[in-house]
Amino acid sequence: MPRLLLFYRLLVRPLFQEPVRAALIVLAVALGVAVVLAIDLAGNAATGSFRSSMETLAGDDDLEITATGGVPEDVVGVLAALPYSIRVSPRIEDFAVIAETKKSLPLIGMDLVAEGATYAQSESTNTAEGSARPAVGESFEHLGDLDSAWVSSSLGYKTGDRLQLLINDRESAYTVRGIYPDSNGKESAIVMDIAAAQHALTRYGRVDRILLKVPQQPGLDQWTQRLRAALPAGVNVRPQGAGTNENRRMLAAFRWNLRLLSYISLVVGAFLIYNAISVSVVRRRAEVGIVRALGAARFAILTAFVGEAACFGLAGALMGLPLGRFMANGAVKLMATTVQSLYVSSRPGPIELTASSIFFALAIGVGVAVLSAYSPAREAAMVSPVEAMARGRREYDTRVHKARDFWLAVVLGVAAAAASRAPAIAGKPLFGYLAAILLVAASALAIPAFADALMSFSSRVIGGLLGVEAMLASRSLAASLRRTSVLVGALSTAIAMMTSVGIMVGSFRETVVLWMNDRLPADLYLRPAGNPAVDHHPTISLDLAQRLETLPGVEAVARLRAYEISYDGIPATLASIDPQALRKSRRSNFFSGRPIEQVFAELRDSNAVIVSEPFTYKHHVKTSDSITLSLGAAQATFRIADVYYDYSSERGIIIMARATLLRYLPDPAPSSLGVYVAPGTAVETVRAELERAAAGHSILMFSNRDLRAEAIRIFDRTFAITYALEAVAVVVGVMGIAGALLALVIDRRRELGLLRFLGAATGQVRKLILVEAALLGVLANLAGLIQGFALSLILIYVINKQSFGWTIRFHWPMQILLGALTVVYAATILAGLYPAQVAVRLNPLEVVHEE
Amino acid sequence: MKSRLACIAAALLIRPPLAAQYRVALPGYHFEFPRDYFSHRDFQTEWWYYTGNVKSPDGHRFGFELTFFRQAVSRDPAKTAAWDVEDLYLAHLALSDLDGGQFYHTERTNRAGPGIAGASESIGRIWNGNWQIQWDAGDQKLQAIDKRFELRLNLHAEKLPVIHGENGVSQKAEGPGRASHYISFTRLATSGSIALRGKKFAVNGTSWMDHEFFTHQLDSNQTGWDWLSLQLGDSTELMLFHIRHKDGLIDPYSAGTYVDAQGKSTHLRADDFTLQPLEEKWASPITRATYPVHWKIVIPKLAIELDVITPLKSQELTGNSKFAPAYWEGAIVLTGRRNAQPLTGVGYLEMTGYDRPVHLAP
Amino acid sequence: MPILSLQDVSKDYLTDGQRVRALSGISLSFERGEFVALVGRSGCGKSTLLNLAGAMDFPTSGKVLLDGIATFSLKDAGLTQLRRERIGFVFQSFQLLHTLTVYENVELPLLLAGKSNPREAAKERLAWVELDGYGDRYPHQLSGGQMQRVAIARALIHSPSLLLADEPTGNLDTTTGNVILELLHRLTRERNTATILATHSPEAAALASIVVRLRDGKIEEITRR
Repeated sequence: MPRLLLFYRLLVRPLFQEPVRAALIVLAVALGVAVVLAIDLAGNAATGSFRSSMETLAGDDDLEITATGGVPEDVVGVLAALPYSIRVSPRIEDFAVIAETKKSLPLIGMDLVAEGATYAQSESTNTAEGSARPAVGESFEHLGDLDSAWVSSSLGYKTGDRLQLLINDRESAYTVRGIYPDSNGKESAIVMDIAAAQHALTRYGRVDRILLKVPQQPGLDQWTQRLRAALPAGVNVRPQGAGTNENRRMLAAFRWNLRLLSYISLVVGAFLIYNAISVSVVRRRAEVGIVRALGAARFAILTAFVGEAACFGLAGALMGLPLGRFMANGAVKLMATTVQSLYVSSRPGPIELTASSIFFALAIGVGVAVLSAYSPAREAAMVSPVEAMARGRREYDTRVHKARDFWLAVVLGVAAAAASRAPAIAGKPLFGYLAAILLVAASALAIPAFADALMSFSSRVIGGLLGVEAMLASRSLAASLRRTSVLVGALSTAIAMMTSVGIMVGSFRETVVLWMNDRLPADLYLRPAGNPAVDHHPTISLDLAQRLETLPGVEAVARLRAYEISYDGIPATLASIDPQALRKSRRSNFFSGRPIEQVFAELRDSNAVIVSEPFTYKHHVKTSDSITLSLGAAQATFRIADVYYDYSSERGIIIMARATLLRYLPDPAPSSLGVYVAPGTAVETVRAELERAAAGHSILMFSNRDLRAEAIRIFDRTFAITYALEAVAVVVGVMGIAGALLALVIDRRRELGLLRFLGAATGQVRKLILVEAALLGVLANLAGLIQGFALSLILIYVINKQSFGWTIRFHWPMQILLGALTVVYAATILAGLYPAQVAVRLNPLEVVHEE
Repeated sequence: MKSRLACIAAALLIRPPLAAQYRVALPGYHFEFPRDYFSHRDFQTEWWYYTGNVKSPDGHRFGFELTFFRQAVSRDPAKTAAWDVEDLYLAHLALSDLDGGQFYHTERTNRAGPGIAGASESIGRIWNGNWQIQWDAGDQKLQAIDKRFELRLNLHAEKLPVIHGENGVSQKAEGPGRASHYISFTRLATSGSIALRGKKFAVNGTSWMDHEFFTHQLDSNQTGWDWLSLQLGDSTELMLFHIRHKDGLIDPYSAGTYVDAQGKSTHLRADDFTLQPLEEKWASPITRATYPVHWKIVIPKLAIELDVITPLKSQELTGNSKFAPAYWEGAIVLTGRRNAQPLTGVGYLEMTGYDRPVHLAP
Repeated sequence: MPILSLQDVSKDYLTDGQRVRALSGISLSFERGEFVALVGRSGCGKSTLLNLAGAMDFPTSGKVLLDGIATFSLKDAGLTQLRRERIGFVFQSFQLLHTLTVYENVELPLLLAGKSNPREAAKERLAWVELDGYGDRYPHQLSGGQMQRVAIARALIHSPSLLLADEPTGNLDTTTGNVILELLHRLTRERNTATILATHSPEAAALASIVVRLRDGKIEEITRR
């Protein structure tokens, strides 16, 4: 109890006397915690929804059978006849767009004859099971109608409604024959009988998946083996929902990087807590001395200050919880956008604030606060009572070992450079991050020397330019070098992050723009209007593709066909192209540097493929390696003829010649078309021709320029989340500056009062504080820019390369950088306004005579 | 004649197809085998019906029923893809553990799909998933898998198939086409195994097979029927059915067939036999229907008198959905006399229309 | 015209909601060249009187005239101007800025007033206080007496007509204190300023041309020599 009382009197009470400062510290912690929590929650929501309606409607099935391009449908009969008591549920799955609302939904074709009967059975015997399956019993008579659809309740239709659906490139009318329950909208989908789905998608001869429910004995592995023995080579058996896991695996690197990015705000927050606790320790030296003289042990002092920090941390974390939950709303939208454009279609799920994420946030808040308070608290505990009580040593000018720290910084910098050369560990750029951390540490250590040098320079130069206030400001900052360094460290870390990510994204963008010039040679691009996304590939009717070729003004039509496959347990895209229809491109897009004709000739003449750069990183393959693909019922081995640069997707892409793919997967409908306009014909004329020819089909047509603009738009949307994270880190940093300046004003109130005695006007006092803010801003911007440049190199050449496998050309995004730095700089000065006002309001009589 | 209310119920639920699309059973049909063992697409309804009484060497008795139904739904020439529903294939499977006092039954519905169900002469198979009859060198190999039990039986025909009725048709009601084409294997020597709840029994016994195809044969006045197949100890067989009317009278088209030891068949008209339910009833706890489970058969012109009892009263098949009526189909034991000589036998009894009247009109 | 004139000046403070009278009905007037000692016990109102005289505060009633200008008629900018031109302050605890050199400390008032090239003036003032050659040192390199001399040099940098010193010897040993008093006395004469000392020291009172004894905010006695 006595110790608590002491804790209260010495530490808690002073906090109430300076509510603004305490609030700023708590707010900084709160923001840091909120960002980390928001990213964590949003990550779960944005990527946790692969358990889509397809999975939910799969119910209690254990295994699934898949094959590239679909499972030959005979397999269903083979499985049904196997002498095992297994339930066989074939699925034809794709996406449909409700024409009215433009909402894209999973389209699920299931055998309603067999499963409807099964459902009816389970309904009578076990009401808990099979909740999400359409009850078709009462609408049995419409089973055979190809325009029958069953929809989930959350879509708001009722039985008998008409429904206009866009599927691939066709819009057709359907009648709602029944509604099935859909508790929270997560499982919304359109269900059709498998026959109707087959006709709607013109997917004959194949089903997309076969779900199996097997007996518990003798175990899934044995069942997998038994079934595999009965299946063609190219057909794959795996646990149901394995696709979900594959998607999670694919997203692991993305989420990991994002999470680390979110910790930057926390690091910036830690700097500020460190500074705040340092200041409060120093300002309470006398009290510490008295308490020590009265018999308090060193440990008690240490605990008291660490305890105080823990309280700040806890308060901040508690505030951060609702804030993080709120920020997660925005973050989930941004993240879902990124996930959808780069990885996999998914709809964000609900944000779930679980007990574990609450605990995580509290632990992070308290942990960071305690860690950053430990060193100043220890310093307070080491103070000797006599020294502490001695008057006259007002400033905490704890010696800063500028030179020693500088050399240490150099050593760390060298270590960072070494770490950046190490390879990835388990697909994660661990050494890359180590390099980044070392770099941040190195700059933290180098900042005192840097600040000192700059301050002595500025007190001489700026003093002449900006007057006595500037001279006083730079002297004061230089005098409290440690505090200045910590502040500059905090803000510069935030700025460095902003700069580095800005440079990386800018470089990436520039790289993509350059790449597109080579990659998109056709004049017009056509694709089906039905929900194209990174992982599903609606098709254009073959007859339309053929008709377009005969139109006047069309020189050639290149057909691209894409399939979703799983390679090595990771989702990938398999595509085919017409090697002869491609126009000569200006520059080689291949690792080998060979011209495109040469590479494509190889594709045409042999069982060869080209793969995208990210594919080689994910699967550790290179040119001339062989890869084995399951295609339809067969397994085939292909040689990698070359690797091409690709920035369209983080997924790996395998490309082969159209004729090669058709040998294995005979569906000739293309996923998209590139139209080359004959020389001398206006693109707009041909476009009008194409539109007339495509009447009755729902086709989206893009000119070359539209498509590029669209790509860049998607690119920018994709990186919105990183900008948002940077912004928060900078806000934390700027808030720290405000808090620190306020502390500075309070600590130096005697000096500020004295200046009034010596003839300073209030405006001069205000200017003094603002100049200090500006100097801190300049220092932080400079340090941040240098550090950010170094970090951007690590980001571009190490972390990005090892996580995602993209080759990015370095590029300074001048405008963005200048703009951002100006904004930060202005914000820093604005952060000085309130402290300056406090300084002006100080009563000089009180502060000068206080001692 | 056979039950298959479920089949008929499905036919009613699915939009009534124009009967005109299908052939009706008319006198003068010329049977040809093995063609007529398999599917007849041009008739609307068709079934294959296997029942049998078997026992293990230590005397454990079982009865079984495996039926395959085909109900045509559509003959739209535009619908030719694998998943298009031209016919519904239903199947019922039941195992009567006569000495264990348990009755197991299950059913499934499928479309032909890519080889999921069918009755194909070219591969000699009648199947619905992994319930199947595979013709193999004149024998029929029966396989049926359920999560609780499995049947693997070889059925060897000891007599040639019998064609019921007169002039190739089994008339069921007044009017042309109110009839079916109906054949039976009346004595199939059966051997094989039955696995039940992890235990395997080697079994031997006798089975019966019916195959019937037609396009709407019944009349709206007819509410149900009782049907029996009897395999007698003197190597003869009997098939008897009578159709009950709403007013409780027995339809004059009720009929039967007698097969002598040489395999020669004799048609029995309604007035050639009596089929009399006795007092003993069994009330179903599920459907509340009350079934007579003790019958008396008298056939004066064959000098046969038989008492029909069942070793297991609970042999009711209840449908998966409320649309399929329930029926009783079970193994029976016969005792009686022929020309004053004691006569015993086994068989199967089917009783329909006891839970509620069957609406048979299309 | 007197350099400082207080006419029936009273000053109240609010402490914990209680009105406390710090000065009551003070009327005084001093000319250039006068060396005034304000004496009395702690809390008798000496510092309050100095603050009013230095245009750092306004009286509750009565008038304070500096060189004939009434302080209450001025706004903050006017008061600042007044301080910059006419008043120098010396404090008990020297109040030097530790981050500035001796020169820079001394020059500070001129710089704050926007004057350029103050170095010559600073050199001269340091010579007055006999600290030639100490200009580039930092305060922590000086003794207490030296620091107070720097403070005096700073107070005189703009040649004020009124020098206000609050216990200038309070933090010094007697010998050093006497040296500082002698210095102040000499400079008052040589520079023709009026100097007002708030002091407990009998030596200071002995040097003063006027001794004003305060008690509970009122003038108890004025002794002129």
